[in-house]
Amino acid sequence: MEFHIERAKVLPKSNLWSFLEGLKKISPLIAPVKRGNKTVFSEVNDISDIIINYTRTILPPKKFLVPYRRVRFTYSTDNLSFSSNFKARDQIIFGIHSCDLHGISILDSVYLKENPDPRYLEVRKKTVLIGISCMPDDYCFCLSTGTAFPDGANWDLFLTDIGADYFVSIGSPKGDELIIELKRLFRDIEREDLELYKRSTRKKKEAFKNKKLPDLERISQLIELEYESPVWDEEAKRCLSCGTCTNVCPTCFCYTSIDVPDFEGKTVKRVEFTTSCQYPYYSLVAGGHYFKPTRTARFRHRYYHKFVGYPYQIEKLGCVGCGRCSAECPAKISMVETLIRLRGTDEKEPGKAAEQTSAGRSL
Amino acid sequence: MKKSLEKLLNKPLPVDPFKPQRAVITDIEELAPDHKKFTFSFLDEGVAKSWDYIPGQFVMLTVPKAGEIPISICSSPTRKGFFELTVRKVGRKTKVLHQLKPGDVVAVRGPYGNGFPVGIMENHNVLIIAGGLGMAPLRSLVWYILDRRNRFKEIYLLYGTRSYEFVLYKEELRRLKEREDIKCLFCLDRVETPEDREWADIEGLLTELIPQVKLKPSETYVAVCGPPVAYKFIGKELLKNGYPESQIFVSLERKMECGIGKCGHCQIGYKFACVDGPIFPLWDTKNLPEML
Repeated sequence: MEFHIERAKVLPKSNLWSFLEGLKKISPLIAPVKRGNKTVFSEVNDISDIIINYTRTILPPKKFLVPYRRVRFTYSTDNLSFSSNFKARDQIIFGIHSCDLHGISILDSVYLKENPDPRYLEVRKKTVLIGISCMPDDYCFCLSTGTAFPDGANWDLFLTDIGADYFVSIGSPKGDELIIELKRLFRDIEREDLELYKRSTRKKKEAFKNKKLPDLERISQLIELEYESPVWDEEAKRCLSCGTCTNVCPTCFCYTSIDVPDFEGKTVKRVEFTTSCQYPYYSLVAGGHYFKPTRTARFRHRYYHKFVGYPYQIEKLGCVGCGRCSAECPAKISMVETLIRLRGTDEKEPGKAAEQTSAGRSL
Repeated sequence: MKKSLEKLLNKPLPVDPFKPQRAVITDIEELAPDHKKFTFSFLDEGVAKSWDYIPGQFVMLTVPKAGEIPISICSSPTRKGFFELTVRKVGRKTKVLHQLKPGDVVAVRGPYGNGFPVGIMENHNVLIIAGGLGMAPLRSLVWYILDRRNRFKEIYLLYGTRSYEFVLYKEELRRLKEREDIKCLFCLDRVETPEDREWADIEGLLTELIPQVKLKPSETYVAVCGPPVAYKFIGKELLKNGYPESQIFVSLERKMECGIGKCGHCQIGYKFACVDGPIFPLWDTKNLPEML
């Protein structure tokens, strides 16, 4: 039972820094810190650098689970023996928001459900995920994607701000072991804490009241119905194919692999690096055929994969509503706006049907 | 909502699926301009013995220094101890591969993909339609069926390519044509030389051969592999001739980096060509955008 006295604790806010200090003594600690006027996840040397109230980091914490550039193997050209000196280390990632925890759960499904990647599993086993509650800004739409709360995601501890204290949910034996180790900082939950917890979730929901949220009801169907919609062309016209949206996405996993020989051609590194479906070469096969030749096709593919592909591949939406792709897009393309516009061509009132046809709606 | 994914983390570390096995090139045959057939044997005896596959599956082949490429297996799993890949010199990595000599060592992992549904094809007629290099993966199916001939009913092989010069497995196919237990119909885009004339049953396209097939469509499975542009027309012609779309299987190619559903490149609509394919029923072409 999630709210049983043994499955939750209370951490007084005054003890937070001792808690972080304690964590840092146990394992290398990764947490949100300031970088310029933005926030990033970074390994922490001094816990006073840690930012508790941040909105979103530039990159999601996935970079500590699957680095953006990684050497898979090294092989010698003499005997083609493949070796790797990869070794996962213990690490604690603190301060992950609910959306990013769901993002990591999606990566768990991608990497571990079928043909499990031993490297990801090793890293994941050695990583402790500690989440923290947050309040949305104008780019957030986690309430639509069902990821506003950590419910169902795969984490170890989650801190919910309930005023003077943090309500600490314990999600795994790994999380429980940390609590036991730092027992003196916590107190038991009381009935009143449960009330405060409920109030805090309500407060987050209310914060979305005046925000633009996309309607994700039957979203797979919407994308397929509107597959030929002019909205794709119009939005893609602004797109620079820069790949920022996929690089900052907590659920994107596509990579390219190349063999890089050294100068003497004796040893070769097999390097994997994050790629983007927005790049033309993404679908290029030998012989020069592009399966996704136009910017519109690539632009649409991202939405198609998030809302039709992921549900088929891992039985979950591929979007967690973190708002990074919209917040970082140099062309100010917003996922929420695109979805609202698509819904617009799909669900206009009957009286306005004439307008739709003149707009070139093809269905 | 409870954490249904918890169990994913409580597993022991699996064997690294990305680690290839060393294989030596035992033979190279020049089939046509820029087309070579490579024969390989695994160096590790245990691997060589246990290695098995299904016609239509592919391997990820490491060309030393150049990188990995996905290549369909063109030999049949009914022949043990070796496997063959037919490769067209078409890009940077295949160019390096074509420079290799017998005795050179490469690395291979796989087999990957679903392969043709050979199990459910049993006790049915099989119509095999190959266009150009599409003959390679289908050669695996042809020999698989011929080596277990009594499990299948009538077999047809339709093969079309540019000209006699570009015909793959010339001698082998010539012998097949003489056999009673498989009917072979060949077409060429252009019939100009005497060799072309001797080889081709007709000058024209594969679609023109389909009506010549004397099989009961409802009792027939169809396997198609060819250039992407051919599928649309072949599919249409097959449907016109009454073949049920759930019994027509096409083999598709896409860019691939991993072969196991991790790199994302090979997505066709919502499916991965590497794990959900590369063999798809024609029905899927209606569900998946930009499939053909």
